[in-house]
Amino acid sequence: MGSYHLGRHLKILEFALSSMLRRRTKNLGLVLVFAALVFLLSSIVFLTGALRTEALATLEASPQLLVQRAMAGRHALIPLGYGELIARLPGVGSVTPRYWGYYYDIYTGANYTLLGIGDQGLESPGSTPLRLVEGSFIMPGQRRVCLIGEGVAEVRGTRIGGMVSLRDARGWMQEYEVIGLFASPSRLLTNDLILLPEADLKAHFGMPDDRATDLMVEVYNPHEVDNISRKILERLPDARPISHAEIQRTYETLFNWRGGLLLAMFLGAMAAFMILAWDKATGLSADERREIGILKAIGWETSDILELKLWEGAALALVAFLAGVTAGYAHVQRFGAELLMPVLEGWSTLFPAIDLAPRIDPYALGVLFSLTVVPYIVATVVPSWKAAITDPDRVMRAS
Amino acid sequence: MSRKMISLENVTRVYNQGRPNEVRPVNEVSLDIGHGEILVLKGPSGSGKTSLLALVGCMIRPTSGRILVAERDVAKLPERFLTGVRRDTFGFVFQQLHLIPGISVLENVMLPLYPLEIGFTAAKRRALELTEQLGLTHRKGFKVEALSGGERQRVAIARALINAPQAILADEPTAHLDAGLSGELMQIFETLRGQGKTVVIATHDPLVHDSPLIDRVATMRDGRILDGDG
Amino acid sequence: MILHPGILGLLITAVLVLGLVLYGAYLGAIVLVRWDLDSSSEEQLALERKTYLLSTLMGHAMALEILSALIFLYTLEDIHAIFVGAMCATGTLNANPVGWWVLGAKILGLLFCAVWIVLNRIDQRAEDYPLTRLKYGLLLLLAPLLALETWLLFRFFLGLDPSVITSCCGTLFSGSGAGVGAEIAGLPAFPLMIAFFGGTAVYLAAGTLNLRQARPRLRYLLAGLSLWMLGISLASIIAFISSYHYELPTHHCPFCILQADYHYIGYPMYLTLFAATFYGLMVGIAEPLRRVASVEGVIAAAQPRWTRLSMLLFGLFVVIAAWPMVFSDFTLEGYY
Ligand SMILES: Nc1ncnc2c1ncn2[C@@H]1O[C@H](COP(=O)(O)OP(=O)(O)OP(=O)(O)O)[C@@H](O)[C@H]1O
Ligand SMILES: [Mg+2]
Repeated sequence: MGSYHLGRHLKILEFALSSMLRRRTKNLGLVLVFAALVFLLSSIVFLTGALRTEALATLEASPQLLVQRAMAGRHALIPLGYGELIARLPGVGSVTPRYWGYYYDIYTGANYTLLGIGDQGLESPGSTPLRLVEGSFIMPGQRRVCLIGEGVAEVRGTRIGGMVSLRDARGWMQEYEVIGLFASPSRLLTNDLILLPEADLKAHFGMPDDRATDLMVEVYNPHEVDNISRKILERLPDARPISHAEIQRTYETLFNWRGGLLLAMFLGAMAAFMILAWDKATGLSADERREIGILKAIGWETSDILELKLWEGAALALVAFLAGVTAGYAHVQRFGAELLMPVLEGWSTLFPAIDLAPRIDPYALGVLFSLTVVPYIVATVVPSWKAAITDPDRVMRAS
Repeated sequence: MSRKMISLENVTRVYNQGRPNEVRPVNEVSLDIGHGEILVLKGPSGSGKTSLLALVGCMIRPTSGRILVAERDVAKLPERFLTGVRRDTFGFVFQQLHLIPGISVLENVMLPLYPLEIGFTAAKRRALELTEQLGLTHRKGFKVEALSGGERQRVAIARALINAPQAILADEPTAHLDAGLSGELMQIFETLRGQGKTVVIATHDPLVHDSPLIDRVATMRDGRILDGDG
Repeated sequence: MILHPGILGLLITAVLVLGLVLYGAYLGAIVLVRWDLDSSSEEQLALERKTYLLSTLMGHAMALEILSALIFLYTLEDIHAIFVGAMCATGTLNANPVGWWVLGAKILGLLFCAVWIVLNRIDQRAEDYPLTRLKYGLLLLLAPLLALETWLLFRFFLGLDPSVITSCCGTLFSGSGAGVGAEIAGLPAFPLMIAFFGGTAVYLAAGTLNLRQARPRLRYLLAGLSLWMLGISLASIIAFISSYHYELPTHHCPFCILQADYHYIGYPMYLTLFAATFYGLMVGIAEPLRRVASVEGVIAAAQPRWTRLSMLLFGLFVVIAAWPMVFSDFTLEGYY
């Protein structure tokens, strides 16, 4: 609107920057606290974002439909007979039993996932796309060997040819020779993974012969997944069909919940900061007050001072924001979000090192902006205005 | 005397109206100020000189009465527009000078132009011209706290002149100056009058109101002008 | 409720905006009651100074509304993966239908804020502040609107349940389904194309005529046409523009164009469309205010500027929208 002259805004901006530099010691504290807050928040947002991307990448590769059995509301081993029943449903391709379980290692305090490899090896439909880095896969009929993920190798300090000892269901130590190391596109789920021959795995957990951990069901038409789930439920009321989409949602909710918890903590900190910002903006020093008085007296108008104050606030917030975001990015990217680990612990002990794609996500930045800079700017509106309405004739009477 | 430049008609300024601490620093004052004259407002402390100067210079609005600046009544103008009139018409020199420490002489001089719609280069050019006129070229990059009293005084005048005002209003400009510098200042004011500018000085310094350079003296007492059109 | 940084950001921003506007409305109410430009009292000066605070509050509210509208759209997009059946923002909105109301309230709130800000700017250019009462009266209407928006926003996000199975653009804008969306998607593409491109030509012609001849009727016409074209454009986006962008004759979603797969083309498309509508409307909204002598000049100078801006933005919108119709091999021919 109106006759706008960019020069006017630029000059006021210039003066705002120069007056902030003159008072840098006063502003430094505020910038540091602010940057620390942005750092905390951006770490949370980047971390949960990265975890989510990881999880979704893993899920891309997971089977269309997974059937588990629930007993007393918990996961129970599923009879192989269920598989035969399911395989007879129209639209269903193959049904493959999966043998796997969790293993808690008291020495390292880590939770491992043990996965049995049958005679079809890793080429079976729907299994995780693992990539062998070193060594060889398990041959049909081979026993007492294992393949481990890079994460496990690191924690255990083992390489190929080394031994992994696991305490089995009867309490006996069993040794497995490491014959291969593998990696996968996502490190989230495979980092704690140990592959054993199927027979060894069943013996290890003491599983009955006619049971599996769950069943992978191949469905010809992806749009039929929900239909087939319903049919399975009708025939086998204790089955728990989990479709791809459902796992995806579970992960989404999990990460959102984790992230949300952290965000809630952050909110407390932000509230405290707003009070600080308000206080700082209200408590102008005597010479700032005098300076505004002079500006008003020599012809600056209330809206000019408001603009000056807005620029000052924006500059301060921007510096803090950029510093905080950069630090947060480095924290998650380079240092694996070390400072947030205590909060996330218990969820996955062998936490994967995170590869944050080095890219700038405008959405994440927008969200971070709305959670930090926006409240700060709003908190300074009233104090800025109070400063701006200084009477222009005030300096004529100041002694 | 030339045409009227500023004209006050029954101007009153009341503070804390209706309360026990009500004051009227300016009470029913009528005064005409012409183009190109040096007018001195004198009077004892508390007589209302500063307040009158603030009214003339559109810093504050009167409680009642009319103030005509270039034939236009500004008494009821909202602050936003009053500031506009002030920027276009007046330059101020304050008793305490009120320069901003920490920034250079040149920046101090340019400061009134910052909120105006003038490019940075044009503003700087004007400031350089003025610092030269006032003999400050060799000091233009100095911070103001490094200057002598006389130099500071001239920086304040340069700042008052940067918006090419028709009138300079000065409140006790000699209060912190010795006799020599005060004389120098009066010379500058005379030069300005020579350029057609109006100068209004509020003071109780005899060096000023007894100076042969001034055109007219108005004496104030208790918010009133005693011998206004002398 | 789903805890998601975007949702948290939106809720916080909404509360802040509401706070700003409620405080603004409170100050506005005080000004409305006590305002007396003829008075030289200290109270009047204090009121005048409050108007600065008010302008700042509203300016901030406006900026935040724009920011939060963008984040809102993107968040709808981002969280759709949580809902079974959702492939884009449509699915998220369907997961809790209050979302559609939020969308409507947001558009209305944004438009209202923008009009208020322009009126405020016009008013501040006149020494007698002639629009003061109108402005602060409007503010008293705007505050409840934004309160409603905030309430709806909270209801929407708090009511989102990940276990809900939702339907997405495939059914809502299916061309053969039932409901408003489907009916629009099922509109015959060819006549609508004629209406869209013909309408564009008429709009630009009306704009040019406005710049040549200063007639009040023409200005109202332009404002009316801008609203009409908003409707036609939205219908066209659903019925055929989006299909061209997806290169799929059966895909009619007005939200999928906001996705990365389509280069976020939806954002510039909607921004230009709504900005063009706003400036076109402004020409008509300001027209009756020209009766006020002290702002007549300001408005008279602004109207051609708004007209030009509106034409330019609308032209840009059409270029962005029609780009693939001209430069891609895909055609809807045979699907008319
Ligand atoms: N904002 C104000 N509020 C209350 N009283 C005021 C205000 N401004 C001025 N006064 C009063 O008005 C009277 C005149 O003040 P003013 O500063 O105009 O006098 P002066 O002639 O300039 O005095 P001095 O020579 O000491 O500078 C004083 O009694 C002062 O206390
Ligand atoms: Mg005084």
